[in-house]
Amino acid sequence: MATYYLQAPLKEEDVTQLKLGDLVYISGMAFTCRSRLHRYIFDEGNTMPEVTKDENVLIHVGPIMVKEEDKWRLVSFMPTSSIRFEKWGAKSVDQWNLRAIIGKTTMGPETAAMMKERKCVHLTPQGVTPNLWVDSIEIMGVDNFDELGSIEATWQMKLDKLGPFKVDIDTEGNNLFDQLDATIEANKLKAFEDLGIPEGFEYTKLY
Amino acid sequence: MIKRELYEEVVFQTIRKGATVLSDDVKEAFEAAIAREESAGAKEGLIKTLKSIELSVEKDNPACPDTGWPVFYFKIGNECELEGGLMALEDATRNAVRRATKLGYLRKTMKHPITGYDPGDNVGMNIPDFTYQFVPGNSIEITYVAKGGGSECFGGTRHRVLAFADGMTGIKKHIIECYVASTRAGAVCPPSVLGIGIGGTANVAANLAKKAACLRTVGSSHPEPMFRELEEDLYKALNSLGIGIMGSGGTTSVLGVNVEYAYTHIAGICVATSTNCMVARRASTRINADSTVEIMKSPNWFEGR
Repeated sequence: MATYYLQAPLKEEDVTQLKLGDLVYISGMAFTCRSRLHRYIFDEGNTMPEVTKDENVLIHVGPIMVKEEDKWRLVSFMPTSSIRFEKWGAKSVDQWNLRAIIGKTTMGPETAAMMKERKCVHLTPQGVTPNLWVDSIEIMGVDNFDELGSIEATWQMKLDKLGPFKVDIDTEGNNLFDQLDATIEANKLKAFEDLGIPEGFEYTKLY
Repeated sequence: MIKRELYEEVVFQTIRKGATVLSDDVKEAFEAAIAREESAGAKEGLIKTLKSIELSVEKDNPACPDTGWPVFYFKIGNECELEGGLMALEDATRNAVRRATKLGYLRKTMKHPITGYDPGDNVGMNIPDFTYQFVPGNSIEITYVAKGGGSECFGGTRHRVLAFADGMTGIKKHIIECYVASTRAGAVCPPSVLGIGIGGTANVAANLAKKAACLRTVGSSHPEPMFRELEEDLYKALNSLGIGIMGSGGTTSVLGVNVEYAYTHIAGICVATSTNCMVARRASTRINADSTVEIMKSPNWFEGR
């Protein structure tokens, strides 16, 4: 397990070197997105803000922002769960030319397959640490604010060694959590035994 | 008579505290988890999360940006007199939510379920949510809970109706299966505080589970031996699964397990689960009849059950 400090925009070799379980800190420009931007672009036919064309790090996040004297202040930041954007995941990797998605949880098999094809990784947080992160992020601008509202808008964030995030999908499309599932499944059977749940116990079918 | 100006301010301060200051029992659960965690990576995650929680007090910032659904529990003395009555209490609470949102203590999270319309103040149809309990006395106890999206959206809250024949065995199996499914890849932000409701109609069981997760002090036990034992057995079993902080592996998978129950139609036993985020946020304040205000350490919701 290695630790990497990467500079965005990310190059292909920056991400192909990453292995499942590696820790990553990212500096440079990133943009944000949640459900409503995905729908706005992919289902309703709108176009992405021009500024994102040079960027390849996407953060699934809905920050708390407060406007103070015409300047935005980032109050709180914690990546949100990526898995619920799975319906749009592969399209976002492909059409937005992404090299990394930072988000809680992980993505599903379709997105992982596109990540393998286009060489992109998914990075997942190791704790809930918004107050350790807010000072590593500078707000550079916002698009789609009027259309989508504060937490769903496309924020431009300049990151300064933001991390650590763990590589949970690598550029071969492997998923760290698939591997952890096997361990947890085995532990579950042992827990059933400890709790006195007989092997082969089945619920009475009521519905 | 407790003036509206006072209780509206108290509701606002309760929201602010709930969003920014983690209660002592949750912090103690973190400290205990850090002490016994065996995975170095998971230990680091727990330490950093606790550090972030401590910083939120200093920065006067939310402990997590997902301030979730604004949920209120009012424990009201039968002789408590509120200026304007209970309707004014709800109105004042909505105002306090608007103010807390404007100031950034709450994120603008509540939206129309179909259109996604954002009112920008977390107030809309049936939101905030209110629950009442009426007790002897003349004071009012106000509890605010920030029920985070992760903890609700990924199967942390679910139920199953079991045959009486399946009994405790079925209950335990269902709970373990639910928890494994909902914590995958860290969806509900484990280690959660797991609440369990047994019996009653499905909504009664689900409500008990949510109250057990959000209102019981972490580390407390059910007073009846059968349920205390169930809490202890499940706590041990769940912590043996290797889920760890954010589902990334580790020896701490739950912070606490709280069980509550109701009598039921014996045709089927409903068992419901509800997870609360590891950053389990709540705050409680009492206003006495003489308008003095006391900060409470715990919601005392199940006192005298």
